[in-house]
Amino acid sequence: MNIATVEPWVEAPLRRFVDDARARLALLLHPSGQVVAQAGFTREVDVMTACALAAASHATSGELGKRVDGHAFRSLHYTGPDRQLFLSPVNTARGAYICLTVFNGESSLGLVRMYFEELCHDLAAAAPPLPAAPRPTIAADFELDLNRNLAALFGREPAAT
Amino acid sequence: MTPFRPMLEALTRQRGVRASLIVSENDGLVVDSSLRFDQDGDRVAALAASMYRKARLSARAARLGAVAFLQLDAERGRVCAVGGRSDLVIVVVADPAANVGLIRVELFKALESLE
Repeated sequence: MNIATVEPWVEAPLRRFVDDARARLALLLHPSGQVVAQAGFTREVDVMTACALAAASHATSGELGKRVDGHAFRSLHYTGPDRQLFLSPVNTARGAYICLTVFNGESSLGLVRMYFEELCHDLAAAAPPLPAAPRPTIAADFELDLNRNLAALFGREPAAT
Repeated sequence: MTPFRPMLEALTRQRGVRASLIVSENDGLVVDSSLRFDQDGDRVAALAASMYRKARLSARAARLGAVAFLQLDAERGRVCAVGGRSDLVIVVVADPAANVGLIRVELFKALESLE
């Protein structure tokens, strides 16, 4: 499966996860919606859309969890007629990420959850420490970073700003 | 306590049995389990359900009919599984020296009570 990452340390753990869990698509993103790595996507626009929707869905379920249970819900699972998705956060020394996994009948929720735990351990072990205090994200930076990440993932020159 | 608990405890009481579980074949999730210490029920459930599903699909593809009993012998243990008409599979994890014949009989008894 085609895997592209913005951060090189993500590639090996993600590849192992996708292979072991037999995932059809996987996406690792910042809670803000910026893409970090993708597996199985062929179009840039799909990655952008999936990132935005995954971040929104994670934020929604987190807030809903706080309202009804006092704590943010961690993981989310949706079932469709052919495909299912599993959305869950990953904590590393570089900060929190969200992982979106899409799988079909070749895998199962149990398998995905099991290998997802291993992915969390692998990413936590592989993550280099955060170099310095991160800059505050502003709208202009967000778009710049998003375009740079997408350019890195799909192997093209970043768009001129 | 679920209605499956007495059946699972009867299976786990067999000599050499480390864990018995009722697992959803499609999801690979534990419905109920009776585990000795140091057994990871979620992991066993996910892998056993996947294995059972593959075996069932393989048997069907080979036109061998339904899977009656699945047994995996490994260096440090064995996994036995039976499934019926529903999505539920009964899984037993046992020591390599456990009496498989007895486990098999108990698994089929358990399956009858499940259906």
